[in-house]
Amino acid sequence: MCVKILKLGKLRKLEDGRASVEEERGRVKVAQRCMTKANYLTTLSFTRWVKDWANATPLFEQAALNFKLVKMPEEAKLAYQQAAMGQIKQSSPWTAAKHMEAAGVLAKELSCWNEVVDFFKQASALYVECGKVQPGADALIRGARAVQELKPNDALTMYMDACRLLEDDNREQMAFDTYRAASNLYIKLNKYREAAVVLLRWGQAANKCKATQSQCKAYLSAIIVYLYAESYEDALACYNNCASMDVFSKSDQDQCAQLLFLAYREGRANEIKHVISTSTIIPHLDHMIIRLAKQLPQGKVMSQEVPEMDIT
Amino acid sequence: MSVIDILTRVDVLCKKYEKYDLDKQRGAADSMSGNDQFLRLYTVLEADIEAAIQKSQDAQSEKNRAVVATLNAEVRRSKSALQAEIPKLEKLAEKKVKDLSKEEMAARPDLVVALAQKIQDIPDGVTVGRRGGTWGAKAGASKPVEIKVDAMHPDDLMRPEHYEQTEESLGFKQEYEARRAKQDEGLDVIAAGLTTLKDMAGDINEELNKQMPLIDEVDTKVDKAAADLKNTNVKLKETLIKMRSNRNFCVDIILIVIILGIGGYLYTYISTPFTSPFI
Repeated sequence: MCVKILKLGKLRKLEDGRASVEEERGRVKVAQRCMTKANYLTTLSFTRWVKDWANATPLFEQAALNFKLVKMPEEAKLAYQQAAMGQIKQSSPWTAAKHMEAAGVLAKELSCWNEVVDFFKQASALYVECGKVQPGADALIRGARAVQELKPNDALTMYMDACRLLEDDNREQMAFDTYRAASNLYIKLNKYREAAVVLLRWGQAANKCKATQSQCKAYLSAIIVYLYAESYEDALACYNNCASMDVFSKSDQDQCAQLLFLAYREGRANEIKHVISTSTIIPHLDHMIIRLAKQLPQGKVMSQEVPEMDIT
Repeated sequence: MSVIDILTRVDVLCKKYEKYDLDKQRGAADSMSGNDQFLRLYTVLEADIEAAIQKSQDAQSEKNRAVVATLNAEVRRSKSALQAEIPKLEKLAEKKVKDLSKEEMAARPDLVVALAQKIQDIPDGVTVGRRGGTWGAKAGASKPVEIKVDAMHPDDLMRPEHYEQTEESLGFKQEYEARRAKQDEGLDVIAAGLTTLKDMAGDINEELNKQMPLIDEVDTKVDKAAADLKNTNVKLKETLIKMRSNRNFCVDIILIVIILGIGGYLYTYISTPFTSPFI
């Protein structure tokens, strides 16, 4: 009896397999038919003087869906592009943006990195066109995340564009994750000064929306990044600028920074390591910053002379 | 064993078995009205001492502190009264009494001293009872070190041993240092935990502040969508009612026409047989 049931199960699987293959073939046929028809409707000829986007767009969308289900990304990508064009022609930028994003995802599967960047940028522009800034920024962030391994410079551009979009729309609070991602990418690329600039920009955005915790953390992170880049003067200048703000000067992060600078002034590497290892503030920063802090001090540490104040 | 100890021991034994001593009872009866004032006073003092000892024992077993204080005060009062009687007893001890042996006469001062010691030894909640100066003499000091509070004698200050550490004080200091270090460790752990909590609380606060306007926006949009939906439903309802009423009216007319038609047909069908060839 059990053997019979098992045999029946196998048969059903086989049958299911056969059914799924047949189903797939059916989908491919449908998709190809839709694509052909839609291309025909959008091709100008002697009898057709205007492209019929109204009828072609749903066909393109159907074709794209079917191609995606049967895992034919190249054809699906083309179909989505055409569908997006159709929606733009019908003054529906929101749907067009969705199709462009789908095309971008498929382009990523095909490793066409330039196309990924283009598609996501176009999607973002379409979102902004219909007045939705947040989805526009999100599209840029998704695109940046998709290409950051292989095209980091483009990813950084997209991250900063997303931040700018949100800043212009007074939505700085939504940009904190973007700042973090951008600064981490800069650190990965060993561009420490740029990373520090992004962190300071993050602090400025946090100041605007009164997020004091993030602001102080961003400033301390910037100081640590400058110290890691072996530019003590930049770090000190950064600290002096930040300490002029009440919010930072009364915070625990300021005390931590003071201890760090004191250790640097004395020129004792052991003391610097001790300050960092015993600090209760540094473990709450971002993991990349903690990693940099644990490697301090970098380079030769010499005792720094405190500039004497001229009281004449 | 000294004479005083022997005498004390004998007194205890005699007291225990005095009910069997007929002579003493007879003598007590005589002495009460007799000439031996020493014996009389001695007996009275002994009885008072017994009463005081009984009170001090009650005070030691009592739990109520107020009662204990009262009893101790009474014991101290009795002790001072008894000590005041000792000089009188000493004078009477030296007086010659008739029919008294030389040994007994010689033993009387010792009896007085024993009695005075007994009075001193009654516990009154203040003095525990001295056992000689052997308690503080440790660490090979030549003189026993007594701890005095607010009683700095210049001689004590000049003594070289005054500022030296004893084993006890060293041990105490080490224990103090160890406990303080342990406390510091514990406080550091608490501080680290509190810093973490503060950081988490700050982040939660920021996140909530970030989410608040978003939720307000969602709230507004949902309200607007709900209002639109409500309007749409009302319009749909009106349209449906209108459609249905129109349709009903048409259907009613059609049905009436059909019924009239059928009725007319039946009437003509029924009426035609009556005009048949039977006429």
